[in-house]
Amino acid sequence: MSEAPAVLSVEGYDLSYGRFAALRDIRLAVPRGQVLGLVGESGSGKTSLAYAIMRHLPHSAVEGGGAIRLSGQDLRAMTAQQMRHIRGSRLGMVFQDPSASLNPTLRLGEHVIEVLRRHKRLTRPEARDRTEAMLRRVGLREPAAMMRRYPHEASGGEKQRVVIAAAFAAEPECLLLDEPTTALDVITARQILELFTELQAETGVAALYISHDLALVSRIAQRVAVIHRGRVVENDPAAQVFSNPREEYTRRLVAAVPRPDLRLVRDAPAEAAPVLAVQGMTVRYGRQGLLQRLAGRAAPLPAGAREVSLELRPGEILGVVGESGSGKSTIAKALVGLNGFEGALRHEGRSIAGPAAMDRDYRRAVQIVFQHPDASLNPRQSIGQILSRPLALYGTPDGLSRRDAVAALLEEVQLPADFAQRYPHQLSGGQKQRVAIARAFAARPKVVICDEITSSLDVSIQAQIVQLLLQLRERFGTGYLFITHDLNLVRQIAHRIAVMYRGDLVELADTAALGGPQSHAYTRALLDAVPTPVG
Amino acid sequence: MPDTLRHLLRTPQGLIGGGIILMALLAAIGGPAIAPFDPEAFHVRARFSGPGATYWLGTDQFGRDILSRILAGARSTLFLAVAATALGTVAGAVLGTLSAFIGGWVDEALMRIVDAVMAIPNLLFTLLIVTVLGASGVNALIALGIAFTPGMARITRSVALAVRQQDFVNAAVARGETGSFIVLREMLPNVVGPIIVEATIRVAFAVMGLATLSFLGLGAQPPSSEWGLMVAEARPYLFRNAWMMLFPGLAIALVAVAFNLFGDGLRDALNPRA
Repeated sequence: MSEAPAVLSVEGYDLSYGRFAALRDIRLAVPRGQVLGLVGESGSGKTSLAYAIMRHLPHSAVEGGGAIRLSGQDLRAMTAQQMRHIRGSRLGMVFQDPSASLNPTLRLGEHVIEVLRRHKRLTRPEARDRTEAMLRRVGLREPAAMMRRYPHEASGGEKQRVVIAAAFAAEPECLLLDEPTTALDVITARQILELFTELQAETGVAALYISHDLALVSRIAQRVAVIHRGRVVENDPAAQVFSNPREEYTRRLVAAVPRPDLRLVRDAPAEAAPVLAVQGMTVRYGRQGLLQRLAGRAAPLPAGAREVSLELRPGEILGVVGESGSGKSTIAKALVGLNGFEGALRHEGRSIAGPAAMDRDYRRAVQIVFQHPDASLNPRQSIGQILSRPLALYGTPDGLSRRDAVAALLEEVQLPADFAQRYPHQLSGGQKQRVAIARAFAARPKVVICDEITSSLDVSIQAQIVQLLLQLRERFGTGYLFITHDLNLVRQIAHRIAVMYRGDLVELADTAALGGPQSHAYTRALLDAVPTPVG
Repeated sequence: MPDTLRHLLRTPQGLIGGGIILMALLAAIGGPAIAPFDPEAFHVRARFSGPGATYWLGTDQFGRDILSRILAGARSTLFLAVAATALGTVAGAVLGTLSAFIGGWVDEALMRIVDAVMAIPNLLFTLLIVTVLGASGVNALIALGIAFTPGMARITRSVALAVRQQDFVNAAVARGETGSFIVLREMLPNVVGPIIVEATIRVAFAVMGLATLSFLGLGAQPPSSEWGLMVAEARPYLFRNAWMMLFPGLAIALVAVAFNLFGDGLRDALNPRA
């Protein structure tokens, strides 16, 4: 433990919502110049703690004992007026979604100028000059032009840089960062992280960095606190938390973090004819206006994916990676008939011309599981009804009643049979995703397309879902088209990996060969940007 | 559903609105039975009397008891209003959901037609339909139902468009479900919440719309004691006995306000985030 006096300290703090205790006896201290990482799964209370420190709690929150001190002053004793002055000047914050934290009707420069005028009492010209310098410092080219733009005219990374500039502008003593890179794609996230580390070292600000990503936090924080069900269960130097965790919970959390060097799939797919082959698939969005078509002046429609070719052998796991908007999901939707496409699609040698040509056989063989289990299960249908539909369409296994077949499906995904009577809102996120997987497997498919199916889940649940998929593959020999942005995860399980960038398939290689010297420049940039676990 | 009801009765709007509607329903069901007099009976010696001990709300130009007539009229007024709203709601909901599901030029064409119909003022449109169909209570009902359809279609479509984007609809399409299954079984159950709220508020408009038609002589016909008709019949005697017009007018306003409050309460109760 360092002996420097803490800039931010939380001492035995309790918080509850009604009878639910959100935070219990929280003790944290962040000395000057240090970064404390706060890691926890959803519902662990990490965001509640951030709001408690900001003194911005909802009315339903009831505070118990304990103190929250900023440089020795108890923030709980402050009036609302005093807190308004402290927020932004002595206590800065950066939130997850930059487009939500910037006012869409204000130019980007105004966000920083406002902070400087209010908290540094600068005149407008002084503030403008300082803002320009700040924006240059956070790595924005042509800061003067950027200041005149509105938030919708800037990219996510540029917006987050402006938010960081605004947070650092008032030279705060302490910064709170709540998942500042989660909404950004991998490469931008890496750049933002580097920028933050530089600025933090330069200004010596104390920072509390909140995240669900243990691998990422262990890279930038000196100490890591792990929060579980409202309690801090571990508070140790970063390297130690990862390599030698003390608590059982932390050990489980560390074990669940995907490590690319730890392969989960050993067998190679059989050298058989591909079950699904795509040749030069292009998917376009939008439609031609009638008048434009009549005038013969139709402009080509924008393509979500261009000339993509890939094939999937029986039982193979093909990973598809790329940032958001790269066309991964576009391809997935085209394969199950939700998007029209140009180019050739062959299923076991049979040519499928388009969504209309997808017959029952094809639809049975190719199933999809979507990203958000909340959205993919109809909230008005019971789990039993949801699982009965594919059975009604594709047939029930021999000698089983509909009821028994549903129970068998639930058993396959390790859920109790009485879940059939429940409704989706009575299930947790992981359980809902298991139901969605059961629905896909009801058809006994040859290929299941997994469209980011773990990215809305906590890391420990993600590990369980991946385990389940691998078990089902073992049992039924199913091939997966596994779409994800998590390179570490996909390198654990995929046989081959396809890399997509802005609608193009830039590389398709064996997992082991990925990132080698012949690799595409974008692939290497992607691999460099991924935080790999330390230790 | 009992949960929604409990939430509903916890809001003041829901409680007051629900209470008044319940009273109106009792009048509609048992109106003639609890009425102190026969609504059609003439009391020639007591014409144009004000509120008093015998005739609580006074009498009209023939000496008919106004309280009895209001109680008896609740049946036709409420029935017509609810039926007109139901007609417009069902037609609008199916049209709107279908339009959202099919999309493309079908959606475009349907919505432009809806726009065109909505551009005609509502009262003018109902008058037009009644003029074509002829003046009667049932025709007024049909006219109001048709007039409500475009608005309901518009509201349903906007909700259904959001539902259309949900992955459970995508999953159904990918599974190879038929269009009618997706519209009726997957989408409609998820759009009924906002539609019920809107429909409840629209009953208030229907009550007033029907009263307006009856007042103009295009709805219910004498000797019915439909409330709008009662107001219309009282008009020539406004200066001799203002009570004749006041009480049915109040009844219309009260029921309209009650349905509005009930709709507001229902909206809060059905919205889990409130």
